[in-house]
Amino acid sequence: MILDAAAIASLYRSHGHVVLRRARVLLGSEQDAREALQEIFTALVRNPDAVRSAGSIVGWLYQATTHHCLNHLRRARTGARVLELHVRPGLPEAGGPRGEAAAEVRRLLALLPDDVATAVVYHHLDGMTHAEVAELLGCSRRQVGYLLERAQGLWDRAEQTA
Amino acid sequence: MNLAATPLSWNACLSGLRLDRWMMGELDSADAETVGTHVSSCAPCSAAVAGIRGVREEVRALPLPGALGRPAPRRRFPRAAVAGLGLALAASLVLVLRPPPVTERSKGAGIGLTMFVQHGNEVRRAAPGEAVSAGDAIRFAVSTPAPAYVAVLSVDPLGKASVYFPQADRAAQVPAGTEVALPLGTRLDATTGEERLLGLFCASPVELEPIRIGLEQGQDGAPLPADCQGLRWSFVKR
Repeated sequence: MILDAAAIASLYRSHGHVVLRRARVLLGSEQDAREALQEIFTALVRNPDAVRSAGSIVGWLYQATTHHCLNHLRRARTGARVLELHVRPGLPEAGGPRGEAAAEVRRLLALLPDDVATAVVYHHLDGMTHAEVAELLGCSRRQVGYLLERAQGLWDRAEQTA
Repeated sequence: MNLAATPLSWNACLSGLRLDRWMMGELDSADAETVGTHVSSCAPCSAAVAGIRGVREEVRALPLPGALGRPAPRRRFPRAAVAGLGLALAASLVLVLRPPPVTERSKGAGIGLTMFVQHGNEVRRAAPGEAVSAGDAIRFAVSTPAPAYVAVLSVDPLGKASVYFPQADRAAQVPAGTEVALPLGTRLDATTGEERLLGLFCASPVELEPIRIGLEQGQDGAPLPADCQGLRWSFVKR
């Protein structure tokens, strides 16, 4: 498979929605989601081998999007601390209580270890079965169960200390 | 909160991965038929597929990213730097923000560029003339009465220009609002001297590389793109 810029542009047209839809959910920001879309496909221009060797383009895009968005949430956590006292206080999260709860989920995702957060995203936000999560993570279904169990424990603890 | 019942939790029977693979023709024929039959009789999965199709149409209508086929613009402050709390910066370095010089371009009605500074545990809005310690985290917010394509560029004391925001080669759309926080922030580096900032508010997603090059070539006061307004700041690193 030749993946030059033209081929990647074509891939963007045919598969870009796989990235954009999930980035919107994970990041909760249209602007950030569109940046994720651009950055993931721009990175492919620099390193086309990344997807060329993947067994499934959709699967690879799921992995790339999840990785990008979790990193973004972690970086944003630091940046948000800069502003939260001066811009956000007193302002309701967009979408009311449901929007606030969604923002809380993103905040907690940024606190979880990478493999745990990734398993949470795949299983709970994408609705994947343990077998599907195991396929993308490259681990056993038993390990997926362990990661999800650990996630709930960490989640409960983080909520208690918040 | 139960992880299975958050506002972000998936609520169709089949996973997003399986539906995406089905729609992109990645499933074998037997599995594809199984999924197709299920989707046709399952309201949540059918709705999920409709949602995916809607986003697919959106992406097809979007302009292609300029970077597809062109090298990405160079930038001096990677946004990941915000997370890099270990940057070794001299604590004695001080930045003094100066008010923007009055220029015709800075008279945009209602537009504004605000810089927030975090020093230790303290967060404050940077005001002209205020001393800011180096190593502080900074983040920008913009005010605009209408949606605008925004960018924030800088020229460091060595004359090197870079783009703080966005991490793209064109100005990014920002919704109308007061002090709309731009994504992420950064930490100032340790270069001493005067640093200039240019906040761009444009009616279209203008290319930033020509503007960056112009700034680097010392054309600080050069005309901006026709549909842009600019707000300029400068500060001195001591």
